[in-house]
Amino acid sequence: MSETRSVAGRGWSRDLRDALVYPLTSNLRLLSAAVATVVTYAVLVLSSFPQFSIQVLTNDPADVVYAVTALTREVYLSTGWFGIGLVAAYAVLTGVATINALALVRRARRRGASTFVGVLPGVLAAGCASCGAGVLGALGFVGAMAALPFDGNLLRVGGIALLLFFLGRAGDPRTCSIAGARDG
Amino acid sequence: MDSEGKITRRRALLAGGGTLAFGGGVAYVASRSGSSEQRYVPATSHTSDETSGFGVELAGRPIAGERDAPVDIYYWTDYLCPFCKKFEAETFPELGQNYIDTGDVRLVALYMPNIGRYSMPAAIWGRCVWSQVADTEPSAFWNWHSAAFDEQPNSGKDWADDETFAGVTERTDGVDRSAVERCRQERGESIRESMDPNLAVAYEARIQGTPGFVIYNRESGAVVKAVGAQPYENFADAIDRVLQS
Repeated sequence: MSETRSVAGRGWSRDLRDALVYPLTSNLRLLSAAVATVVTYAVLVLSSFPQFSIQVLTNDPADVVYAVTALTREVYLSTGWFGIGLVAAYAVLTGVATINALALVRRARRRGASTFVGVLPGVLAAGCASCGAGVLGALGFVGAMAALPFDGNLLRVGGIALLLFFLGRAGDPRTCSIAGARDG
Repeated sequence: MDSEGKITRRRALLAGGGTLAFGGGVAYVASRSGSSEQRYVPATSHTSDETSGFGVELAGRPIAGERDAPVDIYYWTDYLCPFCKKFEAETFPELGQNYIDTGDVRLVALYMPNIGRYSMPAAIWGRCVWSQVADTEPSAFWNWHSAAFDEQPNSGKDWADDETFAGVTERTDGVDRSAVERCRQERGESIRESMDPNLAVAYEARIQGTPGFVIYNRESGAVVKAVGAQPYENFADAIDRVLQS
């Protein structure tokens, strides 16, 4: 039983490694992952104080750099190095997950709608990025993150764990896996 | 291209370097203080027992500027709020010199305790300091106010406690700490309750965080709302628009 579990664990970590290095398989994928990372970071940081972000950006969209840098400092002062580190890690993982999810969706589209269920974990991996650091702020619950345990860091850790779990489940988006085969 | 589909050393190095640069960039921006450590003490301050046209109760609130200034700025703040400190250090001095000291604007300091457990006690300290110096030496309040923000460390909010605020009060010239302590004990609860009406005004104006501002033309009733430590130019534009409306 425990042997089965450790085999499944090894399979998951191998798949996670495959998923994480997938953007390295082409220049375009690497560039896209970098762009997705930067965009995700900006969205996560801006959504920590949406009212401010909307006002600054509607006043002058060129102030996006001012808003992101000001809120980066704000997030750091509110949650410390751990909190800002989690947001950055979240962005990097989401960058990877987005590229992998796009590859999965493209593959599913080629093979027909029924395959979509198979790519769901990968798509969830990308979509889940919004469920952690950003969504509470984006919904207008200002102070909600601060009121959560560890200033919302627990939620961020949970989001990162979910991302890693789904990335490990999906593996390299170019390869097929048969659900259950690895789980014994 | 033959490297397509394979993990090349060049791409791996690029990804590693890019990730390090991204992390380093975030760390640099996060740790850069950016504040110019300026302090602003208004040329004039006054008290009022009125309720403003916008519905803000002014009694017991610090008011910077001339009594007959055409524009009011209602400024909701919290001494534990890092963004408020940014506003105080980077925007308030310029705003004060160009609009408050010229008689165009009066700024009413209001509290919105929303960051940490000590936000409310800190607000009560502020109100008690003002009540002690308002009639005799109002500039002492603004010195105390700046000094309270200066106490914010680089991270965390556990710094705020009785000892820290007592120290700030003790060190600020013109403020009698024992009188302030007496006010906290005797009037703390009533001050806490008196914050509710102005907080309701803020929520009605959809101010959802600190620093929050309502810029209000006292004659025409024109209003612009602003939230956060926005660049000085945004405030200047908003004030000019409200002044002209």
